[in-house]
Amino acid sequence: MRKKLRGASLVMPDRMYLFVVPALLLFLVFWVYPVLQMFFYSVTNFNGIDYNYDFVGIKNFKRILEDGSLVNATKNTLIYTVVNVLCTNVLGLVLALLLNLSIKVKGLFRTICYIPALFSAIVVGFIWSYVYMPGSGMISSVMDAVGLDGSSFNLIGNFKGALYGIIIVDIWKNVGTTMIIYLAGLQTIDESLVEAGKIDGASEWELIRKIKLPLISATITINVVLSIIGGLKAFDYAFIMTNGGPGKSTQTLMFVIFQTAFNNQMMGKASAYSVVSFVLIIAITIGMLIFMNKREVEL
Amino acid sequence: MKNGKLKAGTIAAYLFLIIYSVVSISPLVIVLSSSFRKPENMTSPLKLFIEFSPESYRTAFTKMGFMTEFANSLITTAGSVIVIVLIATMASYPIARIKRKSSRFLYYFFIAGLVIPAQMVIVPVAQVFGRLNIPNSRFTPMIMFITCSLPFSTFLFTGFMKGVPVEIEEVAYMEGASLWTRYFKVVFPLLKPATVSCVITQGLWIWNDYFFPMVFVSKRAHYSLPVGMIQFLGDKENPAQWNVLFASCVLCALPLVVVFMLLQKQFVNGIAAGAVKG
Repeated sequence: MRKKLRGASLVMPDRMYLFVVPALLLFLVFWVYPVLQMFFYSVTNFNGIDYNYDFVGIKNFKRILEDGSLVNATKNTLIYTVVNVLCTNVLGLVLALLLNLSIKVKGLFRTICYIPALFSAIVVGFIWSYVYMPGSGMISSVMDAVGLDGSSFNLIGNFKGALYGIIIVDIWKNVGTTMIIYLAGLQTIDESLVEAGKIDGASEWELIRKIKLPLISATITINVVLSIIGGLKAFDYAFIMTNGGPGKSTQTLMFVIFQTAFNNQMMGKASAYSVVSFVLIIAITIGMLIFMNKREVEL
Repeated sequence: MKNGKLKAGTIAAYLFLIIYSVVSISPLVIVLSSSFRKPENMTSPLKLFIEFSPESYRTAFTKMGFMTEFANSLITTAGSVIVIVLIATMASYPIARIKRKSSRFLYYFFIAGLVIPAQMVIVPVAQVFGRLNIPNSRFTPMIMFITCSLPFSTFLFTGFMKGVPVEIEEVAYMEGASLWTRYFKVVFPLLKPATVSCVITQGLWIWNDYFFPMVFVSKRAHYSLPVGMIQFLGDKENPAQWNVLFASCVLCALPLVVVFMLLQKQFVNGIAAGAVKG
């Protein structure tokens, strides 16, 4: 019995660890080792092909810092993440709260909200390229139809708007999934607690704020974490719809990494971006988990 | 008074849902409507469903090589998902069952992979493929799908397996079952809800992913549906191609929409379970 408490037991012997081997092997060879390689390349001038590279120290880091592209890409990624997290979660939560009421044709609303999540990013990119297309795209046509000047609309081709343009696309695609997760969380709430609140004369807003939200705090944490990770990884629509432009206005970190490595064949420089992104992502994830854990306890 | 207020609230709720639904679905309706037009008829796209011509579809179907791409997508997705379920449940087995620091370490080690984007490691990964003499084929991206799925899948299965009572296995042990039998015949069948969740979330992602196939597949005959779509990126600049492009979009999205319609309940539960379990 005592032995069992320490973990090693007759029923669960150590050779069970053999079951981890296939997964661990794949993970080490195709994920962990490449990450270590990436760190190593960040201090070289490797071009991705020719193995006769030199060590250049922190020159790559200095270069990307001095030409402003690192700051720009980091800023874009952070804006992307913050807007994405706020909008996806607020919209997803509101939709879930509404759909959790006794609403007719609930299934239809849910399906409509969720459908975009089924599409490949590449299909979504095409569809929204059309929606945003200046002149003959969907928004321009609608504006023309209601008597506005549709030809003046060009969100994706403008320095200030393009980033928000692609964030909207990402939100549109992800709201459905977020909503479904919130809905599942809301359905775990014990009805009697809500009833008790009603008897005490709580308003609908108070019921949400004081009873429902605290009870789904774990769900909120998960959705927020998922959308933060999604935002920090932002790549698809910058790649498919804007190609980072106009100028550098939609260049996210992942876009710059890919472009630097593949189009410009500067693996050393791309790795320097990667190292910075890695540190940023890890720092944000850890900080967020600590904050969320604390908050969950408080609620 | 209270009733009146409640009614206003309900109306507002419906209003919000209807407005959001209309805004959200309208791009898809226009795409669908335009895809049924002849390739050259691009005028006033807001006049919905005024023409039903299969011509754009016919052009898109041959241009994409739909059947080949569909088959490649199916093989890649099914193959990856089967392997993922197998090796992720295997990995979770000792991690969930042996309560020791080494298990905790493995658990966090796998999860840490969740936050690293593929773009960051793609070149070193390509080099590993080169060194191991793994050729570019339709099967190459599968290796990355399986690897990238491990953090999430292991996390999901470990959480779920902790809920499977140890006593069941102790009985099997008394009856002389081997470790493999216990895992495969006793524990694995009890993981069904997690398996469904894993198949749906990972299948959805793998079916739709264009990044790994774009980097690791070079032959036209090996393209999956999303990679086939990438070849049309240039057509965006050519408005004459839009209706055909829309038809391709519909063809590319259709298989999953059909599966979703058929298995809606499993989808919704699977996605929620995948997130809530963690």
